[in-house]
Amino acid sequence: MNGAKFCIFSMLAAAALAISACSLFSSEASLPAWHAEELGEGRPICAECHEDQIRGTLKPFASFNHSRDFIKNHRLYAAREAQLCASCHKSSFCNDCHANQLEIKPSIKLGNRPDRELIHRGDYLTLHKIDGKIDPGSCYKCHGRTNNDKCVVCHR
Amino acid sequence: MNKIGQFLSLALVALLPSLACAADLGLNSTTLFRFEQRAVPGFARQTVVPATQFLRMDLEKIADGNLSLHLYGWERMDLADRSTADGSNDGDLAYGYLNYRFPTANAELKGGRFMVREGVAAEQIDGVSARADLRKGFSLALFGGAPVQLDRDTHGKGDYIAGGRGSYRLKGKMELGLSGLHEGGVRLNSAGNSKGDRQLLGGDIWLAPHRLVELNGHTFYNSASDGIAEHSYLLAFKPTKVISASAIYNEQRFKNYFTNSNVRSLFNPDNGGDVKSFGGNLGWTIAVPLELTADYRHYNRTSLVSSDNNGNSDRYGLDARLTLLDRKLRSGLAYHRSDGANSFNSYSELRGYCLYDSGRYVNSLDAIAQFYKNSIFNKKEAFELIASSGYRILQDLLLSGEIAYSRNPQFSDDLRGVLKLTYNYADTSKGAKK
Repeated sequence: MNGAKFCIFSMLAAAALAISACSLFSSEASLPAWHAEELGEGRPICAECHEDQIRGTLKPFASFNHSRDFIKNHRLYAAREAQLCASCHKSSFCNDCHANQLEIKPSIKLGNRPDRELIHRGDYLTLHKIDGKIDPGSCYKCHGRTNNDKCVVCHR
Repeated sequence: MNKIGQFLSLALVALLPSLACAADLGLNSTTLFRFEQRAVPGFARQTVVPATQFLRMDLEKIADGNLSLHLYGWERMDLADRSTADGSNDGDLAYGYLNYRFPTANAELKGGRFMVREGVAAEQIDGVSARADLRKGFSLALFGGAPVQLDRDTHGKGDYIAGGRGSYRLKGKMELGLSGLHEGGVRLNSAGNSKGDRQLLGGDIWLAPHRLVELNGHTFYNSASDGIAEHSYLLAFKPTKVISASAIYNEQRFKNYFTNSNVRSLFNPDNGGDVKSFGGNLGWTIAVPLELTADYRHYNRTSLVSSDNNGNSDRYGLDARLTLLDRKLRSGLAYHRSDGANSFNSYSELRGYCLYDSGRYVNSLDAIAQFYKNSIFNKKEAFELIASSGYRILQDLLLSGEIAYSRNPQFSDDLRGVLKLTYNYADTSKGAKK
């Protein structure tokens, strides 16, 4: 097969693949890029205003009430519903705590927000020696693979 | 400049005419001046004054209205003694990407530097991703590119990374997901002359057999080391509107969790061992403004490195949150106890805070104290007090200051001040502006 034939064949195959893929897509409207109304401060309880299920996720709004359980275990939700998170949160909101390179301890950057659930409040330099022995897995989720500049100052 | 940087620059130039007509601009600028005096017994007193600028820009409704551009990063400069061991200035581009959202199927395309969260993957990459909902409840997400390198040469990541997640949803009842990740060329030593691949597979589930019960969790499998890496499951009950209960189980097997990841240069966790934990929360909304939460977690650690690290530990406590005046007043009180295994230390923690946001003024007080079972550097307690006050000069412009004082085993006195100017602008009022 010469080059021209190969190109034509590839383009036809790509077009056929695209057309067949398009027929597989859901025809349902996408989630809005932004929550339609401005939300106040504090933890939103989605089910206060919404009763049905969320388009796309096919889950009840109540599943995403920002309860303490939800906030403590938000990674389970974010791993499959990142688009839904993005309808209220900019990625920079996540970056307050999760980053390849975190410049400031979250509780210092947001020292005027004591109501937010932030990790490592107070003297965590001392506490990490205890918490790290009890549950090192909780450290390794954020430190080591990323954001380890502070660790390597002592742990070489 | 790397290829992704060149691509981004070209894309920006090509998009300039459209950007100029972008209908929706979001801008967040946070400027922080920290003033800190550190006194460590036996060392000279240190004064650090780092100035840090965080900047986020979102341009939406570009071109046909479905394209958007998102940028976020920070830059720091030390105005006195060095605040870190690395240098007197530093910076990072956390993300910078173009996002095209299709009107249907929750389909989107991303390109640039961004965070991928798809099942087993939680990675910052320079690359591309695509996702869409398919018919009959199926959905598919794919990504590929280069993992963003850390700025330390000895902790480099792989040369490339690719993966994806497929899922099936049954309306209101269930979601099952399968995900995978392959990172090639991960440096296994600081010299970089030994490389390996990082391969993880994940299965996740969301199950609601009854409107009062939800199961949510995942299991990750390391196909490079051929073993389970992690189980994490949450079972939630909501028997009434005011009471909620949950049970949680987590297990991490370190050999499989960390094989061929770059973390080993720090703690060598892939030598083996595991942590298993279980516990639960009980929440009670006594009245709309008052919530109480009790939590308990039991940990069992097995270490193959040192038997001193083996043992059972417990953590338990109570939280009370009081929210009044249409959420303008938010306060809380918490007590927690960590009972470490025999060879570990134990401590109790007490915290109280109060925040009042009148719209024009924002004031808060925050106090936290820890009490150790065994002395650390001859001290058995630590505390920190933070007082904050802010004034909204304009609706989008907040000037605030914080002062914090702490004493702890590390520092005999630690006095810190923060001056912060936050500008948060959006063309249209939308979402939580967060």
